[in-house]
Amino acid sequence: MAHLYKKTLVMHSISNTDRLAQRQELFINLYKSAFPAVAKYVGRLGGSFDEAKDVFQDALVVYYEKTVGQPSTLHNDTAYLVGIAKNLWLKRYRQSAQNLPLTDLDMTADEQEESPSNNRLMHFLNKAGHKCMELLKSFYYDQLPLHEIAEEFGYSGVRSATVQKYKCLEKVRETIKEKALAYDDFME
Amino acid sequence: MTTSWNETQQIEAVLMGTAKPGDALLFEAKLLLDNELADKVMWQQKTYAVIKQYSRRQLRAEIEAVHQQLFTQPEHSSFSQKIRQLFSKR
Repeated sequence: MAHLYKKTLVMHSISNTDRLAQRQELFINLYKSAFPAVAKYVGRLGGSFDEAKDVFQDALVVYYEKTVGQPSTLHNDTAYLVGIAKNLWLKRYRQSAQNLPLTDLDMTADEQEESPSNNRLMHFLNKAGHKCMELLKSFYYDQLPLHEIAEEFGYSGVRSATVQKYKCLEKVRETIKEKALAYDDFME
Repeated sequence: MTTSWNETQQIEAVLMGTAKPGDALLFEAKLLLDNELADKVMWQQKTYAVIKQYSRRQLRAEIEAVHQQLFTQPEHSSFSQKIRQLFSKR
């Protein structure tokens, strides 16, 4: 599985659609290799299908964030995923295990951000600033190199993509500020 | 002259800890004198959090699409049945 992921990262000039398809293939493979063990564990301890699904999907997010940019850090992707999902389940659904150490992640910070005003902001950014958000995501989250971002978003080169990235950052920053002053329960 | 994207770049370098020590020091000094700059720094920090959150939501949506595919499409039915069985005994 790891080699499949590595391959996607060393290939240059692949389009966003290809990247999406490759991620999809990766997630299908990881689902097949790791989800049965997670489901079995959660089921045996009395948890539900939805709980297993919930923690597994969060574990995939953690996995993605851990491996993006440095895909060779994990020796065993399946064992890593299963371990994270089990820990998350214990932490989330078992009161008695609340002081379990959670290495590598704490998703709780993001869970608090599900407030209505924050959802409105996300919705707004997705509609009004979609291209900027996608550009910023490509750079900061997916960690794509600037030359690929330039190509993907139609800029003449790395420099122009860099300038554009900062302009987007500025635009989004101003939007967030404006919206935050309008919604009083925003991102405390 | 500092263009606005240049300033945004400087803020980023300071927030990410990639600014050179001299530049960081100069920036600290500017911050003391310029309230507007301090305000920008604060909002820019929130912006990175918002980008991360936006990105995670997009990724979660991709993962959910994969989940739906695995649990509804006939070609994956042996997999989905195997999983469902683990929860059907109660």
